[in-house]
Amino acid sequence: MGDTLLDIAMMHADNLIARAKEGDQHAQGKVVQLWYKRIYNFCYKFFLDHDLAMEVSQKTFISMCKNLPALQDNARFKSWLYKIAVNYCREEVRRRKGTRSVSFEAVWSRDVEDSPKWESTSHKMDNPERQLQQRELSDVLQGALLELNNEQREVVIMKEYEGLKFREIAEVLNISENTVKSRMYYGLDGLRKILERKKITKETIGYGF
Amino acid sequence: MDSKGIESDLIAYLYGELEGKEKESFEQYLLDNPEAREELEKFKQLRSVMGNVKDKEVIAPPIFVGDHHQRFWNAPYFKTVVSIAASLLVIMLVGKFIGMKVKYSDNQLSMSFGSIVEPYIEARQTIPALTSAQVQEMINTSLNQNNIAMQASWSETQEKLDASVKSNLALNSAKIDNLVRESSAASQEQIQQFVSGLQTENMQLVKNYFQLTSNEQKQYIESLLVDFAKYLQQQRNDDLQVVQTKLNSLEQNTDVFKQETEQILTSIISTVGNKKSLGTRN
Repeated sequence: MGDTLLDIAMMHADNLIARAKEGDQHAQGKVVQLWYKRIYNFCYKFFLDHDLAMEVSQKTFISMCKNLPALQDNARFKSWLYKIAVNYCREEVRRRKGTRSVSFEAVWSRDVEDSPKWESTSHKMDNPERQLQQRELSDVLQGALLELNNEQREVVIMKEYEGLKFREIAEVLNISENTVKSRMYYGLDGLRKILERKKITKETIGYGF
Repeated sequence: MDSKGIESDLIAYLYGELEGKEKESFEQYLLDNPEAREELEKFKQLRSVMGNVKDKEVIAPPIFVGDHHQRFWNAPYFKTVVSIAASLLVIMLVGKFIGMKVKYSDNQLSMSFGSIVEPYIEARQTIPALTSAQVQEMINTSLNQNNIAMQASWSETQEKLDASVKSNLALNSAKIDNLVRESSAASQEQIQQFVSGLQTENMQLVKNYFQLTSNEQKQYIESLLVDFAKYLQQQRNDDLQVVQTKLNSLEQNTDVFKQETEQILTSIISTVGNKKSLGTRN
């Protein structure tokens, strides 16, 4: 994930959050720096759009700085922060529905562009090519993620990529833990079907984990 | 175990969030159910595939929020207050430059450019109905007229009174003068005599006057009573006459009736007599 152990340790430091809560701008800036990448990546996977992800992340952190003093339990900072992000994401989705705008990504047929190349280069292990392949694979997988409905996508991203516990996700979304697990189950099931349709399996990728 | 429970346990197991007894029982369940094992394996593979999605590197943009001074300037109420003040200032400046005048009087707001136009106000003054001041004025004039009339009658009576008083005074003063002149010569007895005489004179005068007026009143009341008695007499006479005439006519009527009955009786008797004679003849 690119975070140093120190950063991860810092992210959960109650001390830092407590100072940020008291209005220490330096601490607030540090919190933003520590968490920005996480929130940005969550939003990016949700929209698959850099600009939107940046916008929503910034909104999230502005809101965080404003409302931090209202946070009661420092231990719940993580789920609280994701809650803000999820709400802004949903707001954005509603707004985009209203304006009926279509993002460039949606018009650009990624599948048609990518899949032939992707299949032809499947078993090559060259380093630059593999990097390219890696990027393409990442894009395809995220495309598959985008095909899930919003509810399932939120849960899958938070669990699979953000590593939140089911209890935390339930807190973020204000639903029961069983509902979270159920959404996760159907989300993963859906993803599997989408990937099967795209003929992407562990074998076609060509390298195991 | 129902399917929902299995699904959630499967998911929890997949992410290593199943612990203790639950974990053991689920592992047992997996051993008993190859389909469940297969599903779990599929999910594991999916996870490893999805694990290829890498985080995008991003640099956090600077976010400044906690600046209280900044907040003060951005506070909505401050903005509105400042904007209102600014617009007022602009209006005042513009008004000053174009020489606009706003005047509020008599429940009327008038705006004008340059000096206030007088004819307009004059024209306006002819239009309105009676103002309270005018009504007051009318009341005052009528009151004044009344006062003047009253004053005139008053002054008239005053003059008359004055005249009579003056004449009396003149008379009395003349008498007093005489008296004084006499008193210079005459004794106090004479003065007393004169005073008593004057008193008796006055008494006589008042008595006479009272008698006169009481006589007049008596006469008037007597005449009134007499008239009334006369009227009543007349009325009674009239009534009596009416009754008399009624009685007379009744008498006449009865007389006529008597005569008629007599005639009828005589005629009946005669006819009966004739019949009898005829019968005897037959």
